[in-house]
Parts: sequence; C-alpha cells; structure tokens
Amino acid sequence: MNAKPGYTQVKRRTGALRIIHWVNVLSMMVAIATGLYIAAPYYQTFIAEGAVDKYVMGWNRWGHFMVAIIFDVTSIIIFYLTFFSRVDTPWKKVIPNKDNLKEFGAVLVNLLTLNRRKDFSSAHNDSFNITYFFIFHFLMIWMLLTGLQMYVHGLESGLSGIGTWWPTMLHLVTDWTIPAATFLIGSANPEAGGTLMDVRISHHITMWLLITWVVFHIYYQFWRTIFWKEGDISIIVGGSKYVKIEDGENS
Amino acid sequence: MSMQKEESVKKLFTAESAKVDTNKGDQYYEELYATCQDRIEDLKQLKPLNNRVDFTESIEEQGLGRRDFLQWASATTAMLMLPASFTPLVAEAAVLMNRVPVIWMELQDCAGNSEALLRSDGPKIDEIILDIISLEFHETLQAASGHQAEKQMNEAMEHFKGKYLLFVEGSVPLGNNGTYGTIGASGETFIDHLHRGAEGAAAIVAVGSCATFGGIPAAAPNPTDAVGVMDVIKGKPIINIPACPANPSNMVGVILHYVLTGTLPELDSLLRPKFAFGYRIHDNCERRAHFDAGEYVEEWGDEGAKNNFCLYKVGCKGPMTFNNCSIIRYNEGVNWPIGVGRGCIGCSEPDFWDKYAYERPMANANIKAPTGGVEKTVDEFGLGLLTVAGIGIGIHAAASAIAGKREDGGEY
Ligand code: SF4
Ligand code: SF4
Repeated sequence: MNAKPGYTQVKRRTGALRIIHWVNVLSMMVAIATGLYIAAPYYQTFIAEGAVDKYVMGWNRWGHFMVAIIFDVTSIIIFYLTFFSRVDTPWKKVIPNKDNLKEFGAVLVNLLTLNRRKDFSSAHNDSFNITYFFIFHFLMIWMLLTGLQMYVHGLESGLSGIGTWWPTMLHLVTDWTIPAATFLIGSANPEAGGTLMDVRISHHITMWLLITWVVFHIYYQFWRTIFWKEGDISIIVGGSKYVKIEDGENS
Repeated sequence: MSMQKEESVKKLFTAESAKVDTNKGDQYYEELYATCQDRIEDLKQLKPLNNRVDFTESIEEQGLGRRDFLQWASATTAMLMLPASFTPLVAEAAVLMNRVPVIWMELQDCAGNSEALLRSDGPKIDEIILDIISLEFHETLQAASGHQAEKQMNEAMEHFKGKYLLFVEGSVPLGNNGTYGTIGASGETFIDHLHRGAEGAAAIVAVGSCATFGGIPAAAPNPTDAVGVMDVIKGKPIINIPACPANPSNMVGVILHYVLTGTLPELDSLLRPKFAFGYRIHDNCERRAHFDAGEYVEEWGDEGAKNNFCLYKVGCKGPMTFNNCSIIRYNEGVNWPIGVGRGCIGCSEPDFWDKYAYERPMANANIKAPTGGVEKTVDEFGLGLLTVAGIGIGIHAAASAIAGKREDGGEY
C-alpha cells in the first residue's frame, strides 16, 4: 500500500488488536441479543413441541456465557497490551498530567468546533479517544464482575466442570459487587448489605450505557475519517492511517 | 465519621454472598458430635421450664407416631446440613427444646409469622415443637394483657437474663422518634421495647421479612422510616430468618441448632442461616426444565399455566432469591408458592417489596423504588439515553456537514 503523495502511512494497530476489536464487536452483538432474551424472553417457543426437544433459554444462556468468556479473555489481552504493546502506549495517555489534559481539551474543541480548529497531532492516538476507551473498559469490567456474580450462584454446589477452584475464585472476586450495586441502586435498608437483584439491575443498566457508548464511538470514528481526511477508519481494518507530511510530528 | 467510612469500605470488599460448604470433613463432625452429646447431657439435668405437657405425649395426642417423629428428625437433620449420624441427637434435642426459654416480641407487623406457626392444616411436628418450646412471653398468644402483660415480660426477662432467645417479628419504625409504634400501657416505643428485650437476650432471632430487612413497612416511600432489627441492635448475636412468612421449619431449625450445639448456625452476609438461605429458589424449582426450554406462562390461566410452565415472564424472581422453600416447601411439604402457580416474589431478600414483588419481568415493573423507580425505568432510561445520544449525534453531524460544505465550497 502506497500513500497518496504528500501523505505518509502511520502504523496504528497490530493484527492481533484488530482481530480482537472485531471479535469484541461480534461478542457484544451476541451478548446484547441473548442478554435481552435472558432478561425478558421476547420470543416464544413452539408450544406444541415437547420440552425435551427445545432448549431455548438454555442456548441463549450458553451463548451469553460463551461470549462473556471470550470477552473476558480479550479483556485480559487488551489489559496486557495497554502496558506492553509494541505499537502504542495507551496507558500513558489516561494519566491526567498537563500534556494529556491539554490534548484532551484540544481534541474536544476540535469536535465541538466541527473541525474548525485542530491544534494537536492526529498521527498517534490522542488522550480524548483513549479516555473514551478507558470508560468502555471500566464499564466492561463492571459487566464482567456483575455477570460472573450472577453466574456463580448457578454453581451452588460449589462444584463446576473444571473444579472447585472456579466457583471459589468467582465468589472471592465478585461477591463485593452485591453491596456495591446496592450502593449504586439505593436501598431502604442499607445496613443489610444488599441483594442480588441490585446486581442484576445494574448489569442491565450498564448494557444501555455500553450501547450508548458504541453509538457515539461509531459516529466519532466516521466523523474523524470524513473531516480529518486521514483515513482513520482504516486503522481498524488495515491497521494504519495516513497523515499529511506537513504536519511534522508523524515519525 | 472517617472510621465509619473505613469500616464500610472494609465491609464492602469483604462481603460474602451465599457459599455453602456442605461437607466440612470427618474430624469436624466428630468433634461437633461430641460437643452436642455433652450439651444434651447438660440440658437433661435441667428441668423443663414450664408445666407444659411432655413432648412425646403431645405427639401421641395428635395421632402421630414415633415413626413420624423419627422421619421428621432425619429430614430436619438433612435440612440443617448435618450428617445422618446426627439424627438421634436431633431427636433428643427436639424433646429437650422446652429447656430453652424464648421471648417473642411483636413490633410493626401483621402477626403473619405467628400465624404461620399456629395455623397449618393440622398440627405437624414443627408446629408441635414450637408449641413445646418454653414460650415465656408472646403478646398475641398469651392471656395476659396491659399492665399484667408488661409485668410478665419483665419477670421473664429478669428470670432468664442472659439465657433466653429473643424472637422479634415486625419492623422497627424510627421516624418521629419512634412514636409510629408504641406498645403496652406505658406507651413504650417499639425501639425502646426492642432495646429492653435485647439487653438480656443470649441471641436475637429476627423472623419474617419485616424484622430482618424492614419488609413491607419499609417499602417506598417508607413513611415510618422502618428498618430491620440488625439496623438497631448492635453487639448482640443476631440471626435473620426472612421470608413472608418465615418458614416454621427454619425457626425450629435455628432453635434446634441452638439447643443441640449451643451456638448459632453458620450465617451468610445478610445474617441468614446458610442451611436455609444458601441456595436459590431457581436452582431447586420443579419448573426449571421449562425455564431452560423457553416455555413460559405468558398470561395467567393460559395453556402454559395449565401445563405448569415456568413463571419467569409473569415475574418470578426465583433466579435472584435465596430461600429453601423450593426444597422443604411450606406446611411440612404440602406445597409452596411456585407449586400453586404464581411466581416467587423474593420475600426473603432486602427491599423485596420494591425490587422483587411486582409480579412482572423487571423491565415492566411500575412500582416506585427507593431511588425513584429504577426497575420501572431500566429500559426506558436506556432508550432515553440512546435517544439523547442519537439527537446529539444528529445535530453534530448536521452542523459538521454544513460547516464542511461552507469550508470546501469552492473545491467541488
Ligand atoms: S418458576 Fe421461577 S424459580 Fe422456577 S424455574 Fe421459573 S424462574 Fe426459576
Ligand atoms: S417462593 Fe419466593 S416469595 Fe414465595 S415464599 Fe418462597 S422465597 Fe418467598
């Protein structure tokens, strides 16, 4: 791939990261479709068929847990790459130091002035975008923990297909989400320490927050592609974008 | 204040949800067995506290045989999650239950828990045992009233100081200095009444949803500022037996455990005995196969309802509720709510009236919750959020397009 004259190609995403992105997109769509069914089954099964022949909620739950586990694993990989990626050093961009705050402001101004002002380098990933992703990962972690908390009670015998360590670990890692969710939702009796329903309500609300997040994310990436004219959208497909050579800081 | 905060943060991250350990190893049970034996020997030395009839006699009077009793004992042993070898000890402990004094207190309640243990289709062994326990004071059941009743309570508290179990039924109204609820001829508020009773108690057993978590009186908007016993009493062993009403079998279970071992059973983070509240309704529900198959009652009385389909879509909250009524049922196994065809309303969970009991799936609940209707609006809130985001994006996109055109006006 050769860049247009006057532009230079900047590598932005490794193959692994791009694959993870699209795996996440797929997982998320499956998680929402199955999750909504689990919350309130929105289609009916053929009533004439015997119960032994269908497993509709079962399959929905299976799908939901499968993509959840895939999501968990990609999250761990992303977490690792946040700190040790060869290409990007995203973690440095969420630290609220002077440079980052300035860049964050500049990108926000760029968005609000409809690209009239653009005084930051768009060659690398900017503070604004990375902070936005940070919010996503924060919400995802909450989804993951609340989801696993609801899931672990199905393993009530303390056993699981892979051993007793699994439910034990899940209890250890996610039990605190019950009082935390109750704190978020509110309770008439805060002293009691919370109830599983709050975890569920919180899980459900967070889904809506994530959907909203995705809507803006897609819009913003397209908007940048159109207005910056640097082919941003191809970062997540081909792995790189193009930056005007006059911009200077494009090493 | 900061100490309090530190405490609450610590509490937050060390909280445990239900995790039941049903097998603690041979050594543990052998030691427990020995302790129980000693304890029973000790109790045998004591005289029965009241003049009530002997337990064995009373069982026979009701037309129940020794066999029924032993059956009951082995079922109760299993319920308490003890090995089968404990059955004879449980049977012995049941006979000795009248050695432990009990004071029963009613606060802001409907007396439903007292009713539950009095009115079954015929006196079953659980109920007989609750008859036999040395109930020293029970406002509703005793003959005495007014000044006489107060005197009786004072005497009982004095006499059995530090030994009696205090059963509390009903929530504690804190609003308006507690004047929403007073009791007795002196107009003592429920808070004072409870504090006075709790002082000399060996342990406090809160029965029913109101005494444990505030229950229905605490439902939004909670006009009387009702709370459960655990919010009021500090520094005393408290054990919660929620549900509406609390299952008499679980009450007997707790007393038996206390008689047998001298200690309270293992509790979860909500102070509920794990033997009863360690499992979800959903995991032991007889309709679970229909849940997995996606067969739901869509409407009361439809074809699905006639075929005992899962009640999830008419609001069953079994998947979030911890209780053992799907295992032991009510009235000695006669039936239970889901068995008769209506969903679980989560009666054994905190804030159950606001968060569980609306008999619709969460998204369609139209009941105002403490925080202003969360359940009602989960999906509405989500769609609203999405709409706002969509409008914002639309405006931004339109403005960008116009601005863009103006800028590159000449180019194209
Ligand atoms: S009726 Fe309720 S508890 Fe039973 S399977 Fe259905 S959702 Fe679960
Ligand atoms: S089925 Fe649910 S609401 Fe009914 S008694 Fe049992 S725990 Fe309570």
